Amino acid sequence: MLDAKNISVAYGNRLVLDDVNFIAQAGQVTAIVGPNGSGKTTLLKAITGEVKCSGETRLDGRILAQMSHADLATRRAVLPQSGNVAFPFTVLELVRLGLTNGCATTDVAAMDALPHAALARVGLSGFEGRYVQELSGGERQRVQLARVLLQIWEPVLDGVPRWLFLDEPVSALDIGHQLMVMQIARDFAEAGGGVIAVMHDLNLTAMFADHVTLLNQGRVKGDGQPHEVFTDDHLSACYGCALRTNTPPPFGGTWLLPQAASQWMEVAE
Amino acid sequence: MSVTSFPSTSKAPTQVGDRRARGALIQTTLVVALICVMLLSLGWGAASSTDVIGALGAKFGVGTANLRDMAIVWDIRMPRMVTGALVGAALAVSGAVMQGLFRNPLADPGLVGVSAGAGLGAVAAIVLGGLLPAAFQAITGSYLVPFAAFLGGWASTLVLYRIATQGGRTSVATMLLAGIALGALTGAVTGFIVYRATDDQLRDLTFWGMGSLAGATWLKLMTAGPIIIFTLLSAPFLARSLDALALGEPVAAHLGVDVQKMKRLAVLSVAASVGACVAITGGIGFIGIVVPHLLRLVQGPVHRTLLPNAALLGAIVLLVADMFSRVVVSPAELPIGIVTATLGGPFFLWILLKNRAILES
Repeated sequence: MLDAKNISVAYGNRLVLDDVNFIAQAGQVTAIVGPNGSGKTTLLKAITGEVKCSGETRLDGRILAQMSHADLATRRAVLPQSGNVAFPFTVLELVRLGLTNGCATTDVAAMDALPHAALARVGLSGFEGRYVQELSGGERQRVQLARVLLQIWEPVLDGVPRWLFLDEPVSALDIGHQLMVMQIARDFAEAGGGVIAVMHDLNLTAMFADHVTLLNQGRVKGDGQPHEVFTDDHLSACYGCALRTNTPPPFGGTWLLPQAASQWMEVAE
Repeated sequence: MSVTSFPSTSKAPTQVGDRRARGALIQTTLVVALICVMLLSLGWGAASSTDVIGALGAKFGVGTANLRDMAIVWDIRMPRMVTGALVGAALAVSGAVMQGLFRNPLADPGLVGVSAGAGLGAVAAIVLGGLLPAAFQAITGSYLVPFAAFLGGWASTLVLYRIATQGGRTSVATMLLAGIALGALTGAVTGFIVYRATDDQLRDLTFWGMGSLAGATWLKLMTAGPIIIFTLLSAPFLARSLDALALGEPVAAHLGVDVQKMKRLAVLSVAASVGACVAITGGIGFIGIVVPHLLRLVQGPVHRTLLPNAALLGAIVLLVADMFSRVVVSPAELPIGIVTATLGGPFFLWILLKNRAILES
């Protein structure tokens, strides 16, 4: 379990996170949502130890601030929002950086084949020899995801869950790959690992997340299962526009989407 | 199995994009080449090759050689060759480490202030050394200039490191900018001292700035060598961290790298070794930028193979340049900095133009 208590972060005089409590369970996908500038990414950075904050974060019982970099790297991997690469690495060379701390798996013999497996997982088999700089934005995002997945290849190591922190993992992806990446997150959680993802797409969040934390102006405005948090009032207030959520009727009910209707009865003719 | 249609290659799939084997092959080639160049360097010049071989053997009790050949090989060429190899290796590795640290292929050790500081130290020693008490001068002798250069380089880097470090974190960007400011200040002080110099001192200053291996002795090597060797040996420990750093400092930290620790090791070891190099050979530019760049083009930027290969190629380049410097205006010697720049400048330009497409993408 990741348990963050009373997290506050200030950039200069501006309070970006104000006394935020955040809990995520292993075996679940936990999403952090909210409008631009609500503090989603800052919260992710606070609970990964990337920015200094007041409050305390515990990762499976251990205080985050007291863990070494090497220790943390075996417990969790972090996918940042954007990543530029300084030198012309090939895709394979970049993905292999996920093996830096050498704890991807306990099976040392399998280590050399893992980067290829990680690339296959994100749909980039055959990209090994390409230069990272030559890839499209979406491909680059998936290469970085492969690197991150490789770092904690086994979702549970020595009986302890490992954690995947994703900052807008689908922001540059087409719809097919969005579904693919969210499914990867789901599978990781179902295998026993923990996933915490900053999300913009509320539909994908509703589809794949077990738990949602809704932020606005640095404060928690909602916390619970997607259907509990994604209410018309909550969302409209946070996002500053009138939003209507919908749910399909229980199985067997007929459901019409008026947007899908055509003007005249062409079908009948 | 994948959604992409990527042209298949004849190579086995596990080898595509993997340049480790190529790096290892280049390493082997460079080792062989370095050994050849080292031997050639010993035999380069007036003593015939049989005399040189004789002198080498005689040292270990095999055969005999006359005293003159023994002196030439063991007291003049050997320390010169070892100095050249170590300095070349250290400059190239330091360049590669700095480029990795600053995440920029144009970074060089000068960025951490060591060159400017060493220059000030050397200039101060040449011009103001005569003002020191005679007894002190007698002790330091010709070692005053290298000693002052090393001290100046090291002190300047420490100051810069202190300025850029706040709350336990060193900002590379601050270091870069503060380095420019500090460099200007150091340059001003250096300029003031140079302004006060006599004509003879000006000549010394000019030649010091061009660099030379001619002053290499066992004693100098004994003092600078351990520092240089320390850097060369610490480089492999930096390799993985430097690779991770290519993705940015936060990502490197998430990958398990203690970024602050590696920055400290990188900056201080580079400052020490470049300071030591500048102290015994004067200013030799160019190797620190070109050697790592060339290697990155042929074997990729992965530091685990880049750093050792840079050491080998750096040593080769400096030894070859040294051989040129000995024959071009024979019997006199051309300062080696002129040779590295004359040979290296056009060559580097050619490589750049050839790879323009890659650079601009």
